Amino acid sequence: MSQELAKYLLEKLKKENVDDIVISLSSTDNTLIKFYNNKIATTKTWNSKDLGIFVAIKKNLVSTTLKTFTKEAADSTVKKILAFSKTILPNEEYQGIAQGPFKYKTIQNTYDKKVIDIDPVDYVQKGINIALENNAKRTAGLFETSIADVYLLTSNNIEAQEKGTDLYYSIRALLSKEESGHSVSNSRILNKLNIEKAAEKAAYIANLAKNPQHGIPGKYDVIFDQLAFANIIDNLGYQFSIYNIESGLSCLKNKLNKKIASSKLNLYDDATLPNGINSISFDLEGVPTQKNILIKNGILKTYLHNTSTAKRYKTKTTANAGLISPHPFNLVIDSGNSKDLISEVKNGIYITNVWYTRFQNHNTGQFSTIPRDGIFYIKNGKIDHSIKDIRVSDYILNLMKNIKSLSKDREQIRGWEVETPSFLPQALIKNVNITKSQ
Amino acid sequence: MEKDLADFAIEHLQKMGASYVEARLDEYTGNSFLMKNGIPQISGFDNVSGLGIRFIINKTLGFLSTNKLEKEKIKNLIEKSVKTTKSASKLNEDILFSQEPIYKENYEVKQKINIQDLSPQEKLKVLFEANKLLKESKIKIPGSFFSLGDNLTTEYIATSEGTRITATVPRVNFMYYITIQENNKTSQRYWDYGASGGFEFVHSWNIPQLLLNEAKACQNNLKNGKKCPKGNLDFVVAPQVTAIMVHESVGHPYEADRILGREAAQAGESFVTNNMLNTKIGSDIVNVVDDPTIENGYGFYKYDNEGVKSRRKYLMKNGIINEFLHNRQTAFEMNTNSNGSSRAVDYDKEPIVRMSNTVLLNGDHKEEELFEDVKLGVYIKNFMEWNIDDKRFNQKYVGAESFLIKNGKIQHPIINPVIEITTPKLWSSIDAIANNTEYHAGNCGKGEPLQAIPVWFGGPSMRLRNIKVL
Repeated sequence: MSQELAKYLLEKLKKENVDDIVISLSSTDNTLIKFYNNKIATTKTWNSKDLGIFVAIKKNLVSTTLKTFTKEAADSTVKKILAFSKTILPNEEYQGIAQGPFKYKTIQNTYDKKVIDIDPVDYVQKGINIALENNAKRTAGLFETSIADVYLLTSNNIEAQEKGTDLYYSIRALLSKEESGHSVSNSRILNKLNIEKAAEKAAYIANLAKNPQHGIPGKYDVIFDQLAFANIIDNLGYQFSIYNIESGLSCLKNKLNKKIASSKLNLYDDATLPNGINSISFDLEGVPTQKNILIKNGILKTYLHNTSTAKRYKTKTTANAGLISPHPFNLVIDSGNSKDLISEVKNGIYITNVWYTRFQNHNTGQFSTIPRDGIFYIKNGKIDHSIKDIRVSDYILNLMKNIKSLSKDREQIRGWEVETPSFLPQALIKNVNITKSQ
Repeated sequence: MEKDLADFAIEHLQKMGASYVEARLDEYTGNSFLMKNGIPQISGFDNVSGLGIRFIINKTLGFLSTNKLEKEKIKNLIEKSVKTTKSASKLNEDILFSQEPIYKENYEVKQKINIQDLSPQEKLKVLFEANKLLKESKIKIPGSFFSLGDNLTTEYIATSEGTRITATVPRVNFMYYITIQENNKTSQRYWDYGASGGFEFVHSWNIPQLLLNEAKACQNNLKNGKKCPKGNLDFVVAPQVTAIMVHESVGHPYEADRILGREAAQAGESFVTNNMLNTKIGSDIVNVVDDPTIENGYGFYKYDNEGVKSRRKYLMKNGIINEFLHNRQTAFEMNTNSNGSSRAVDYDKEPIVRMSNTVLLNGDHKEEELFEDVKLGVYIKNFMEWNIDDKRFNQKYVGAESFLIKNGKIQHPIINPVIEITTPKLWSSIDAIANNTEYHAGNCGKGEPLQAIPVWFGGPSMRLRNIKVL
């Protein structure tokens, strides 16, 4: 019924001489278990069905949603769209949507029917027990399972559909308020979810973080563990969107084909990543997604485009629609060679997690972010002691330029403050500016 | 509004053995308008309806939500949720609520200029006027982004204990992000405006003039700004800076769910502990309240999402920690009563402990009096970068429009002055508070999935003594 209604809406709008139409129908079923103090705080079970409509009428762009799935409601929404579009003004920049049809490749490991029937409580219990066996005193976190179905129709001969599953596990282990570690495991399929590893790592960091001493401000070589590095890369990733460059929300303006990072950095946006959290075979206008090279050997290779923005810049879409603002899907960084970054540091800091990343000026990339959970002072290649109460206050491109080494191991990260998922190594970055409260 | 669906869900869950059920039915209509660099981008209208339900079964808390508003589908979802929740009861935290009075009431916030009476064009006109004024100023603005929105939400809350509340609240909001260039340097400003009420509030913000003032201030800072002196300085911070300080380091650490550890893996915990009530943490003149009853506040509500009547809460009284923010669960755990702080941003989110309108109360000085005996200091009018750690103990605020104060007089602009300070040091360094309270709007993030909930934060200008600047 829902897909039939989407087709009915498309035909109805076509008869009204609408220039471009995109209809996206999504259904989701989610279950989440939230826990703290080693107990389950609540279960959450939710589902939704949403039908999003985008239309362009002489460059007047309107978006809306259909809440009732009946022909009468669809007729009424079409009338409202037409009336609404007459009272707004054109987006003169708008250049249309992609012309289909396209063929789509199946992305590996994005759907697992086993996810539908699992009892999430067993997984939560297992993770808590592992952390406690590894000497954590308290644990907090969540386990979420999702099943989603997306159906896309456009006026330019596109019909696409994809279903997916998703598993998200997050655990923070604590010995006390100031002795904690946090880790996550993310997967689209059950057999690649690794709750044991995440729980062990969180507990390991918490144990290592015993008796933290006050950090001392200054310049340090800093190792960012994957959770921390993912937050920083997330805050860089959205700045590749041409929309954010035009809006002033990017430090990457006028830097195409220029060296902006260490030669060791190769960064991609890859919506085709097998088992990638945001992997999908088509973007929001139905263009087959691809692996885009954002930074190659430190050189900025492309911004992110949809069809409309690409036409304005006389380039090709990178298949990153967003119908108004292109966006990254999965940010991927090539692994490095290092098996043990700590051994490469004489006088430095190991940061396992950060949050609250904010910019003073996106153009310059001046920002700060606050380490949370275990932070460690490194002396002569070994962790010397646990520290606390420091802040990274620097420029984001300074960090990218000063990448000295990357680890061989990579992890897929999505977290409370990591909106765009990433698959990335740990990074050793030299001369990072560390500040603290006075 | 199909209130019978909420009543049906309550009855069905009770039949299945739930000892408590709370159903929330939301109907939301909204409009949004985006403009980038003077060009309208996309305009939208939305209609959203949905049902969110919390229940306790086997002393375990469950939450479910759906926008498929048909009895059979609701029943199926309830059964799935009850199954998971019963399974969770082997590892549950025993959920008990404080006892609270039951209310039945309908209320709404009135609009002087009804958002539904204005055409999209009339709303967009505000953004065009702002853009025109900026263009006429000849200030170089390489990037600008404006977002204007309005919405009307009707919410019906029913509980198995007999609560029946229907609330209709309109809200308007505006956000801007502008980049100013002078020579080869840039400066940026971002801020939010919001209120519960009609379009009269959008007019009251005088958006074109406020953006022009922002652009001029950034340009002045770029042209004439000097480095901040180092050493021990006094700071006078204007209401916008006071507001964020109050929100971050008084409101958040006093949320009882954080104190109990429920947000440990998300927004974090708190340096404040249950036994710190009645502890001195600020100077005698510091009084901070959280007050949902401010009628046009962006965080206004008369009853919270558990049906508890809202009231003003003194979080800090004469510098002493006085009261935490509670829902019924945290109140029971701390052996007190809920003070009506349970909020969810939408029907599909769990209600959790939240701020509403959090304000430092006025002192008795005029703002200019705060400068008078400052030998060397900085006046920070507004800010850009800020953050605070997950214990709410170490925070940083970086000034945007800022000026040197020398021998009681305002001097040249200062570039990016930094206050990086602990919470106790911040609130005990205050020796004078002005009487010029302003309210500012924000969308505060907490919970998982993340809930960005409308709040006001506010207060007057205040003076901080002897702050070390490196």
